[in-house]
Amino acid sequence: MKRRALLESSLSVAAAGIVSTSSLSKSENRTQDGGGVLSVFDTNVSLFRWPFRRLPLDETEALVRRLRELGVARALAGSFEGVLHRDCGAVNRRLAEECARFSELLPVGTIDPGRPGWESDLEECAGELGMRAIRLFPNYHGYALGDRRFHALLERAATAGLLVQVAVALEDTRTQHRLVAVPDVDLGPLPEAVGRVPGVLVQVLNDRPRGAYPEALLDESRISFDVARVDGTDGVARLRDMVGWERVLFGSHAPFLIPEAALIRTVHESGLAEHELRCIVGGNAERLLFDKA
Amino acid sequence: MDRDGQFGLPSAAALQGYRIWDSYFTPSHGHPGPDGFSAVLADIERSRRALELGRFEKACYFAHVGLGTTRDAELETLLDAEPDRVVVPLERYPDLLLGMIQLNANDPGASREAIDRWIVEGPMVGAYLPGGGPAALTCTHRNVIGLVERLAEAGAVIMVHTWIKTGGKGGPGESTPAELAELARRFPGQSFVCAHAGGEWEKGIRAVRDVPNILVETSGFDATAGFLEMAVRELGAGRIVFGSHLPSRSLGTELSKVTAAEVTEEEKRRILGANFRALLGE
Repeated sequence: MKRRALLESSLSVAAAGIVSTSSLSKSENRTQDGGGVLSVFDTNVSLFRWPFRRLPLDETEALVRRLRELGVARALAGSFEGVLHRDCGAVNRRLAEECARFSELLPVGTIDPGRPGWESDLEECAGELGMRAIRLFPNYHGYALGDRRFHALLERAATAGLLVQVAVALEDTRTQHRLVAVPDVDLGPLPEAVGRVPGVLVQVLNDRPRGAYPEALLDESRISFDVARVDGTDGVARLRDMVGWERVLFGSHAPFLIPEAALIRTVHESGLAEHELRCIVGGNAERLLFDKA
Repeated sequence: MDRDGQFGLPSAAALQGYRIWDSYFTPSHGHPGPDGFSAVLADIERSRRALELGRFEKACYFAHVGLGTTRDAELETLLDAEPDRVVVPLERYPDLLLGMIQLNANDPGASREAIDRWIVEGPMVGAYLPGGGPAALTCTHRNVIGLVERLAEAGAVIMVHTWIKTGGKGGPGESTPAELAELARRFPGQSFVCAHAGGEWEKGIRAVRDVPNILVETSGFDATAGFLEMAVRELGAGRIVFGSHLPSRSLGTELSKVTAAEVTEEEKRRILGANFRALLGE
C-alpha cells in the first residue's frame, strides 16, 4: 500500500473517532441498557510475532475476530517487531499497513530514542502514518525514564499530540528467556519527567502494582494505567481506588495474554459502578485520544 | 446489568455445566490470621464474587495446622494446642471448602503425625508441599520421600508447589517440575499434582510429560496464551487440574486459561472439575 493511501485509511478511522457500522455489527457482546452499548476500547494489543513462541491469536485476522467476539470495538495496536527490530520506521510502516485492513485497529508506532533518527520516526507516526499514540519499550531498548532522551521524546510527543505508552514489562521476569532477561521499568522518575512537559499524556502498560504507588505517581493526573497485568480478584478496583477511575484504561496485552482474562476481571469481577466501568473499558481512552483540547 | 455469557465469561449455564472444582484456592495462603482462621475467612469473603460468578462447586485450600509452616511462633503454638481452630473455615463453608494440610518436611516426625491426625482421621483430603517459607524443602529430599510413603498409604492427594524461574530458584527449598518428576518416578502408583505447571510452563510440561502419575495445575502465572493448548497436546486433558489461586490471582486470569483455550468442551469439563474429583475418589 502506498503511504498516501495508508494515511487516508488510518485517518478515516482514527480522526473520525468512529467505528464503522460493519465492524460493530460483527461484535457479539454488545449490551443494550439504559446507558447504551458497552463498547470496549482495548488500549493494549500487539500484532505480528512474539519472538519466543507462537501464540494462538498471532495472525491479525484471528486476533480481530476474537476481539469482535468479545465486544472490542477499537484497539490500539502496537507491533511485537518493535521490541527487537532496529529499524523502527520500517516496523511502523508495516504496522500501519496491517492495521489499515481492519477498521477496529489503530496503529501505535514504536519509538526507540536510543536509535539515530528517532525524531523522524516520531514525525512519520504523527504525520504520514496518522497515528494517535506511540509505544515505548524502555527496558528492551536500554534506557531509564530519567534519561534525557526520554525527556526529549516526551517533548516531541506533546508537540505532535501523541499519547505515549510506556510498556513496563512484556513478560513476567520469572519466565523470560534466560538470554533476554529484562527487568521491569522503574516508574520512579516518570512523574517528574511528565511534570516537566506541559500537555504530554502518558499511559503505563503491563504494570503489576504491588502495594501502593509512590505519592508522586498518584499525584500526576496525566499518567494513566492499563489493567492487563493488574491481577487479584479485586485488583482493578484497587487500582481505581489508588489512582481514580479516570486514569484507568482497559488493556489486554493480547495476544501474548488471553484477552478474556483482563475483560472478565474488569467487566464482571471488579464490581465497578456502571459509569466507572463504561469509562474504564472505553470512555477514558476515547477522551485521551480524541478529546484533546 | 445482565451480561450473562458476554465479555469473555461463559454463561452461567455453561459454567454450571462445567461443575468447577478448584484444586488451588489460596485464601490468606501464607498466614491464617493470629487466631488461626480470621484472615482465611476474610479472604474467602473477598473471593466470594469470583466464586459465585464462576459457579464453583468446591474449592480446596491449604491449612496451616501448627507444623511450623509460618514464621509466627505464637500462632504455631496456638494451632498445636487448639486444633479446633484449624477447621473453622471448613465448618463455616461446609458446602464449598475442601482442605489439604500444609506439611513441613523439615519436621518429618510432626508432619507424619499430622498426616494421621488430619488426613487419615479426616477431614483433610491431602497434603501440600510449600515452595517457600520455613517449611519449604526440595521434594527430592529424603524427608519428603518418607512423608510421601505415609501419604500414599493414606490415599492422600499430594500437591507440590513448583516453579522454574529465570535466574534460579526463589529459595533453596523450592521444587522444580524436574525434581517432582524424580520423586514421582519412585511412587508410580501415587498421583502428584505439579502446582503452577512449573510457572514457565513450556519447560514444566516437558519436564513431567513422561511421568504419567503427575498432573499439572493451571494457576499462579499470568494468563499467557497457548498454555492449555500445549498441556492438552503434550499431556492429554486427563492430566490437568484447574486452580484459581483466588484471591491473589483473579477469576479472569485463571478461568480464562481454560475456558478461552482452543480445546474441546469435553476437555474443559475434565480440566475444570472431573479430573480433580477423580483424584479425590469422588
